Amino acid sequence: MESCNAETHALPLVCRVTIPFKVQSVSQYALEIKSLSHVFGSHRVLNNINLQVLPGQIVAMVGPSGCGKSTLLKAILGTDAPTSGEILTDGMPVRGPNRNVGIVYQNYSLYDFLTAEQNVSFGLKLDETTIWMRFLSTRKYFAKRREQNAKAQAFLHRVGLGNACGKFPREMSGGMKQRVAVAQAFIMRPKIVLLDEPFGALDEAMREELQMMLLRFYQENLIAKKEGRRPEYTILMVTHELNEAIYVADRVIGLSRFYNEGDQGAAIVYDRPCPVFSPDDPRDFSKFVKQRDELRKAVFDESYVKDRDKYVTFWKELSELANDVAKA
Amino acid sequence: MIRRSVPNWLFWLLSIGGIAVLLTCYELVSARQTRINPLQTTIPSFEKLSEGLRQIFRPQGLPDNPKPPMFWVDIRATLWRLVLGMGAGVGLSIVVGVMMGAYRWIEAPLRPVFMFLSKIPPTAMMPIYFAVVGTDQKMFASMVALGIFFSMTQSIYQAVRQDVTDEGINKAYTLGASEFEIIYDVIWKQILPKVIDSIRLQIGPAMVFLLAAEMVVGNAGLGYQIRMQSRILNMSVVYVYLAILAIIGLAAEWSLATLRRTLCPWFVE
Repeated sequence: MESCNAETHALPLVCRVTIPFKVQSVSQYALEIKSLSHVFGSHRVLNNINLQVLPGQIVAMVGPSGCGKSTLLKAILGTDAPTSGEILTDGMPVRGPNRNVGIVYQNYSLYDFLTAEQNVSFGLKLDETTIWMRFLSTRKYFAKRREQNAKAQAFLHRVGLGNACGKFPREMSGGMKQRVAVAQAFIMRPKIVLLDEPFGALDEAMREELQMMLLRFYQENLIAKKEGRRPEYTILMVTHELNEAIYVADRVIGLSRFYNEGDQGAAIVYDRPCPVFSPDDPRDFSKFVKQRDELRKAVFDESYVKDRDKYVTFWKELSELANDVAKA
Repeated sequence: MIRRSVPNWLFWLLSIGGIAVLLTCYELVSARQTRINPLQTTIPSFEKLSEGLRQIFRPQGLPDNPKPPMFWVDIRATLWRLVLGMGAGVGLSIVVGVMMGAYRWIEAPLRPVFMFLSKIPPTAMMPIYFAVVGTDQKMFASMVALGIFFSMTQSIYQAVRQDVTDEGINKAYTLGASEFEIIYDVIWKQILPKVIDSIRLQIGPAMVFLLAAEMVVGNAGLGYQIRMQSRILNMSVVYVYLAILAIIGLAAEWSLATLRRTLCPWFVE
């Protein structure tokens, strides 16, 4: 068994199941944000954001309304470049929206003119075929499309939509559409997928179902690590629901202006690991009441002004955890 | 009660009843006019209309040198001009409208120009077409094409702006699409039903521009024939031609609605 040491980063649960993930180079980060700041006119929105996300992590981002979560997400996606700083996905600088970063929006943003199966295989079509291939090499093109559609069908089965392959978005419920959107993003195996309040428009039952889906993805990550493969599902999820953030993610970050130099723009004032649940575990919210209260105080309490690094302890805790595992 | 539904059989009965009432009223008015003036041709009876129908299908010219019936000559000329003009106008509108909706640097200079030019009635621009393009086939086609071009470009541009979301475009980039693929695979397919609808709505104005031009400078065509026959008060032919125009309009509308249903099964109004 490879031990966790000072040079070895590992996901909390990964260490617990003794499958450490050794960081060999900077590019081993699925996402790396270096000294990112963003200014709108004279209004400084984001102040010196630094963040590293490892492959296989599910990171939840919370923060008060208007604190700059969407601005940060757009910067990572590449649609709105930051005023200063750098964003790398798998070591490659982000210059615009690209294949390395997937996105799932709250309003699904599926293509109305495609069925569920076509929506999911749309990215494969764009990525693996060309316009010329469609017109000049039709036989090869259709063979490829059959293969891609089969992959899409298989993915839809995995997210519980095996019977909805032929349905258009207008024929599907909100939850079904969101699962198609998730499948559409993940089938492309991007380095990281951004979920922008993905379950915000869904009812409680559907939210729970989709939260389970993310927990299943996390379990698949663990299996991948166990087998020495790179985990497929790396997620940065923006949510307003604190329970959801702690329940689904293995790490929570909080973006807020409520710190010593808050007038300089929002910063990451909370970055801590959180308990990891299996889809089969009962949903026991009492397990994370303490962390939820801490999060609420650190990120949302306007009167609680503190040093911005007070709760930014993820890597330190991880290192301690790794040392514990090594000793054990 | 407003919008209360009626049984299907009653709906159809009332629809047929509406047409029957129209035809009966027409025949009564015609009979009354004929009683006042037996030689009147302003409101011809159905019998005279059927004579008009026979007349338009009768071969023209001398028995030893027959020429095609006037209907075929006129319908061929009008439809060919319509197809040419609509084809050019629609094609150009799609390219410019999509580009305007997709690229802000194209939208910025063109939008104010189009807003200004679309307010000029194309029929008022006829003298300019005569002077610039002449009075041959090109004039009719350009009249129709430019007549629909400005308003259709605007509606396609609006469809691109409203129906294709930024999220959809950004997502396509994250799925690996090139700009051409976004235009063809995302924008074009999303707005296709609106384009078909727009074509359907432009057929009426296009016919107006074409018939107006044919009435002024044509030597064949439905517009030309309507003007010639009305000058000699041969209204039985004029009415038949008007009915033919209505049938062309209905056929075009039905064809485009069928095309939209076939190509865009996902679209619901």
